[in-house]
Amino acid sequence: MSFLQAVIYFFREALVNLARGWKVSLVAVLTIAVSLFVGGAFLVVSGNLLASVERWRGEMRLVIYLQPDTPDAVVRTLAAEARGGPGIASVEMVSAETARRRFQEAFPSLSDLVEGLGDEPLPPSLEIALSDPARRPPELGPWLDAWRRRAEVSMVDDDREWLGQLETVVAVLRAVGLALGLGLMAAALFTIGSVIRLTAYLHSDEISILRLVGATEFYIRGPFYAEGFLQGLLGGLLATGALWGGSTFLRLRSPEALLTQVLAAEPLTVAQVAALIGLGAAAGLAGAISSLRREQLTVTEEPAG
Amino acid sequence: MIQFFQVTKRYPGGQIALERVSFDIPRGQFVFLTGASGSGKTSLLRLIFRADVPTEGQILVNGRNVSSIPLQKIPYLRRSIGVVFQDFRLIPRKTVFENVTYLPRILGTDLSSRKKMAYQALRRVGLAHRLNAFPLELSGGEQQRVAIARALINEPEILIADEPTGNLDPDLSWEILRLFLEVNLRGTTVLLATHDRDMIHRVGRRVLTLEAGRLSSDQELPGTEPPRLDEPASERGPELDFEPDVPPEFEGPGFEEPE
Repeated sequence: MSFLQAVIYFFREALVNLARGWKVSLVAVLTIAVSLFVGGAFLVVSGNLLASVERWRGEMRLVIYLQPDTPDAVVRTLAAEARGGPGIASVEMVSAETARRRFQEAFPSLSDLVEGLGDEPLPPSLEIALSDPARRPPELGPWLDAWRRRAEVSMVDDDREWLGQLETVVAVLRAVGLALGLGLMAAALFTIGSVIRLTAYLHSDEISILRLVGATEFYIRGPFYAEGFLQGLLGGLLATGALWGGSTFLRLRSPEALLTQVLAAEPLTVAQVAALIGLGAAAGLAGAISSLRREQLTVTEEPAG
Repeated sequence: MIQFFQVTKRYPGGQIALERVSFDIPRGQFVFLTGASGSGKTSLLRLIFRADVPTEGQILVNGRNVSSIPLQKIPYLRRSIGVVFQDFRLIPRKTVFENVTYLPRILGTDLSSRKKMAYQALRRVGLAHRLNAFPLELSGGEQQRVAIARALINEPEILIADEPTGNLDPDLSWEILRLFLEVNLRGTTVLLATHDRDMIHRVGRRVLTLEAGRLSSDQELPGTEPPRLDEPASERGPELDFEPDVPPEFEGPGFEEPE
């Protein structure tokens, strides 16, 4: 029997076994589908969050707020000094008057609030643009700390700080997803292994005959390996389908919602789909191989006569 | 063909199944292996097709030392040995055709050739008409004949039978025995284990007797009423044809390989 003939035979037998024991097989398929879905969902969500972080990083602001009564001349001097800082592309001076005007433009209904306060209620500031927001020079942090300690400065507002916290959250999320996915995958492997062992047990009479007439181990085990592979493949297809369906539903239903942006801004890539399905099939095959390795498919016959 | 040299088989619990057993069965011989239950008959047969290995001694089958065959080569040894058991060992969910054609299928024989081989093997045992039946639809005698057809389908050099008539009534036993004798006439070496001494004495032939694992006698019996093998078996049909043409109904759409 050629290798191709053998493989065709394995898959035909495996399909017959799957059809015969479809209820048990369904449990194995669903277990692996759930594990891949959970792992895949965490992967997609963390991927989308990281994409959002990258997007926000480009829009990140770095602002040095000065004391309210800082004279314009001092503001100009400080701005000139700030331009010499590490990784700084430009520094825009925002006077107290400009700050008030911006506030009134941004919040017209609150315009009267700042008008009635007499003196300029908002402090002047220095708005700093970095030459590369994604790659800050290491000296920038100490440089900002030094500014925080200066008497003319009331506050330094750095978006980078909360983006850093968000990145930590994403990393934790990804680790939790990975751990959960791996745990569920182990459960799926165990389930597939048990189903394959059960199938092998139900076919022990046939295995005994196959061995008796001279079938090789490869020929005997092949259908069981193919069955595990198919269960994993089906699980992978189900998980991928559910992830794709879920993210498509979110995008169609409320494309602008924050939840959609965070969870489903990007659809699954072809590589991710292939990886999930491939992982399912590989897990199924691994479950079958490990279960039959332990079982050894040994048919014992007691000596009688 | 089958040579045992001082073979001892001891099981892990210390039970001795065979002790210093030696014999030589030449090619084409028909040999009865007899002895009481527990005398070691099954253990001896299992050693021949390497279902087990001897604790001591050497076994040569067709010149090959069975004990030293690597595990991955055992299937090739078994393909040259047909084995029949008392309990038939047919797969109830498979048809007669599927049960009989396990070995050709393993060997990658195409469906058309498998049909011809199955037909020929079943014709030899008088069951060509039950190709699509399931084992449980057959009588005990018919099931044993299917098991014999399975053992014969690849024209093995050796046929081993472990109490093949143990579950059958005397008339059916006689029919089955005739089949083994016919197979032997075609040159196949036959080793048949039975405790039916009456049958052995009627048929004659070489008889190996085991007692508590030891070969107590190796004798040639003349036979009181050996069967006439020129007469066809009752259920076979009008004529025994070892190389039959496959009738058209076996090539047509009515004969499909079951899934």
